[in-house]
Amino acid sequence: MQNIPSGEEYMTEVKVEVIGTDPPCMRCQAAKKAVEKAAEKLKTVGVKVVIEKVNVMSKETVQKYGVLVSPAIAINNTVKIMGRVPSPEEVEKLLLEAAK
Amino acid sequence: MNEKTKRAIRAGVILAFISIVIGLLIYSRIQAYSLAPTSTPIELRGYPLWQIPIIYLYDYFSHGVICLLFAFTMAGLIYEFIPKETITKYMASSKAIGYGLALLMAPFLTVCSCTMVPLFGGILYAGAGIGPAITFLLMAPASNILAILLTGELISWELAGVRVVASATTALLAGLIISKTPWGKAVEKEHQIGAMPSSAAKVEIVKPPLDERLWTALKFGAYLAKQILPYFILGLIIVGYLEVFLPEEIIREYLTGVDGVILASVIGGPLYTPTLVEIVLGRGIWVREGVILSKGALLSWLMGQPYDFANALAVSKIAKWKVVATYMLIAWAGSVTFGMLYGLLSGSL
Repeated sequence: MQNIPSGEEYMTEVKVEVIGTDPPCMRCQAAKKAVEKAAEKLKTVGVKVVIEKVNVMSKETVQKYGVLVSPAIAINNTVKIMGRVPSPEEVEKLLLEAAK
Repeated sequence: MNEKTKRAIRAGVILAFISIVIGLLIYSRIQAYSLAPTSTPIELRGYPLWQIPIIYLYDYFSHGVICLLFAFTMAGLIYEFIPKETITKYMASSKAIGYGLALLMAPFLTVCSCTMVPLFGGILYAGAGIGPAITFLLMAPASNILAILLTGELISWELAGVRVVASATTALLAGLIISKTPWGKAVEKEHQIGAMPSSAAKVEIVKPPLDERLWTALKFGAYLAKQILPYFILGLIIVGYLEVFLPEEIIREYLTGVDGVILASVIGGPLYTPTLVEIVLGRGIWVREGVILSKGALLSWLMGQPYDFANALAVSKIAKWKVVATYMLIAWAGSVTFGMLYGLLSGSL
């Protein structure tokens, strides 16, 4: 990770969709927190993470990804995690991979 | 020690724990001791009022802790290891498969509204339509793995089996009937999108290593326990008092027979109790010293709980009131019919 330059010169943007129920269920909130924590950490190495909260029940979501089990997390339009709450470290790893 | 051995050891430790839990349950079976409370109302009546719940809870947990541990561990494991991607993929394929999966998979997927609500929406939007969606919704509370295990342990395995079969039949009927009604069709038409995932979006599930998955499974089991146990304990306290102060004669008078079945189904519905509490309450009302006073009425009571408020809130946004009303009516009719039928067939109405 030492090779990643800091500051403006490194501006990768990663889009993360946290897909959950509305009203939010506890596990969806836990998933969102994990993503937020990971995003906070990646900010220090110059990766910009845009977090979007998506309703799993909306037609748009179903049209885009098909039927999902929440909580789900999609990184750059690819669902990577479904039906479980990941650890912030795991999300961080996935986000770094996507930022490359 | 390198990373790989560490992971293997961790996985081993968790697997050992799971084996112990399963072993304990089997051991309790071989020893054939009851996992349900054993103190009788007459014994309990001898204690001061405030002591009754304490004694009852102690009595329950000294027996029931293995069963609860097993139930929550299994629920966590099954939920984690069931191939969710495969299910969600097939849910959308055809009506027959939709109904089949709704019935077969509901027991494993519905321990949490995180799963129920999106699957209901998913089936309705992208897949088989309103029929299977309703079937799934009605099947869910009656047949999740925790409910089956606890009905079996606390009341009787026969009743647990009948409950599942009766709920499945009612759920299937409700789905089929609602999909034929004009208002059901209207909801379906309004929401169906048909189109499959666009090319830009993909689903590539990342699978963590075994030890992490096992740990996640146990954590989910613990989460479920944290959600459910407070209500469960409250239910047990009420049941402690019910067993002591609700005389058997009153139950025999009003809550058995044909009137008993109808009354049980009617109070079972609106008297919303959170998951699993309906089982302890049912036990407190109808089971006296190990004898079920009316199997029919108890089944009706257990089936009369067709709705979970958290899910209902999300679902009612989609389904119109007519659909909800039809659904409630069929659920109620199903609970009465099967209560009567089971009561008559088992000779315990």
